[in-house]
Amino acid sequence: MLEFTGENEMEQSKEELWAYFTDTDVLASCAPGCKEMTLQSPHEIEAVMAVGVGSVKPEFDVDVVVTAAEHPERLEMTAVGHAPRNEFETTAEMVLEDNGDGTTVVWSATADVSGTIASFGGRALKSVTNRLVGKFFADMQAKADEGVEAVSELEAAPDDEPAVEDESAASESDD
Amino acid sequence: MKPAPFTYHRPETAQEAVELLAELEDAELLAGNQSLGIVMANRLATPDHLVDLGGVDELVGIDVTDDAVELGAMTTHRTIERSERLATTLPMLPAAAEQIAGPSVRNQGTIGGSIGEADPAGNYPAALLALEGTLTLRSVEGIRTVPVSDYFIAYMFTDLREGELIERVSVPTEPFPTDRTGMTFLELKRASQTFPTVSAATAVRVDDPSADEPVVEDARIALANASDVPLRVEDAESTVEGEPLSSELLTEVAATVTDAVDPEGEMHADREYKEEVAGEYAKRSLETSYERATTDQC
Repeated sequence: MLEFTGENEMEQSKEELWAYFTDTDVLASCAPGCKEMTLQSPHEIEAVMAVGVGSVKPEFDVDVVVTAAEHPERLEMTAVGHAPRNEFETTAEMVLEDNGDGTTVVWSATADVSGTIASFGGRALKSVTNRLVGKFFADMQAKADEGVEAVSELEAAPDDEPAVEDESAASESDD
Repeated sequence: MKPAPFTYHRPETAQEAVELLAELEDAELLAGNQSLGIVMANRLATPDHLVDLGGVDELVGIDVTDDAVELGAMTTHRTIERSERLATTLPMLPAAAEQIAGPSVRNQGTIGGSIGEADPAGNYPAALLALEGTLTLRSVEGIRTVPVSDYFIAYMFTDLREGELIERVSVPTEPFPTDRTGMTFLELKRASQTFPTVSAATAVRVDDPSADEPVVEDARIALANASDVPLRVEDAESTVEGEPLSSELLTEVAATVTDAVDPEGEMHADREYKEEVAGEYAKRSLETSYERATTDQC
């Protein structure tokens, strides 16, 4: 199990930033290696992301479930990603806090990574992840500075909704 | 194992190569093929296209001008190791080249491949960081230059963008007048032809090599395999600048470097050991550079 934590300062208020962090078009353009992102329901996102280390760049099909969305302060998601010979599962939380001049985003994530990418070891994965997260926040800051229009789209999954592991069963019943 | 299927391309110019990169989905550049082939054979990397730079002659060669040395990305370790002009102008580079792996790897492997792979244990990344080199990167959108100090970002993660090719690296020679500069690339290896446990690249310029106690005007200290990126330790450099090198200052350098590094423990060398040995090798490397600066050998 890998654990990641960090803090990023952003200039806008948490009310302004909330829309950016919950708009899938904005997320798609800022998320590292994101090739596609589709909102399936207010609490389910499907994405294709190519992320890796060096020339090892698996392309993951990622299913995201929003597990908490407390406007304008706290967002929590779980995600599972599948790629040939690689898998990951992660839970990530983001808390927005007023800091007087703007907002401090405190984020943390735990992840289980398996497959070829895991062979690089935790330190290498952390090194790359920290860089990617830094870039995500920088891109997000640029969007907010430009004043790109953002619409909050995400809501927490209802409590009785099946967890992400059972999602295939749930989506079959939708067909 | 054999690699997953891929389509092989062999352009003849750098422009053709970047056009291929722009046009093809999931393409990887191939330089001397001393790393990528292994990764592909293990199916860790599975690019759909390989763009082999082996036929791009314009990327090969060493050019020494009045104020800089330019090395084409496809110049091999062997060429760099044996270059007499480099031995005179920038001896750190041949020293770094000759300590890479074994002769067969050095015959094929290239400086551009090493910079592209960006392994934090690599020799050229640390050497070029110490020498304040600049990379020229080409894409279909044109050329841009990036200082080596901005290029290495995280573990095997660089500022090289999709569709970009490393064309050459340029190192300024003005800070290193040959008559009063010394350079050293010192590696600790657990066995010959293996990856280093730690390497220390140093350069020293003194004011007057014939003085009783020559004063260090400029010092450079960079380490490989001591962090997730090649690491320059400017605090240790400023410790020795402006004074003759003494054993007290060298001890201080070792302590500063040991504090600055952030290495990953390995099977044969745990974290604490690598921290200590990084300091010790920085010290020894710097001492040798000073000796070389104050005598007539470069």
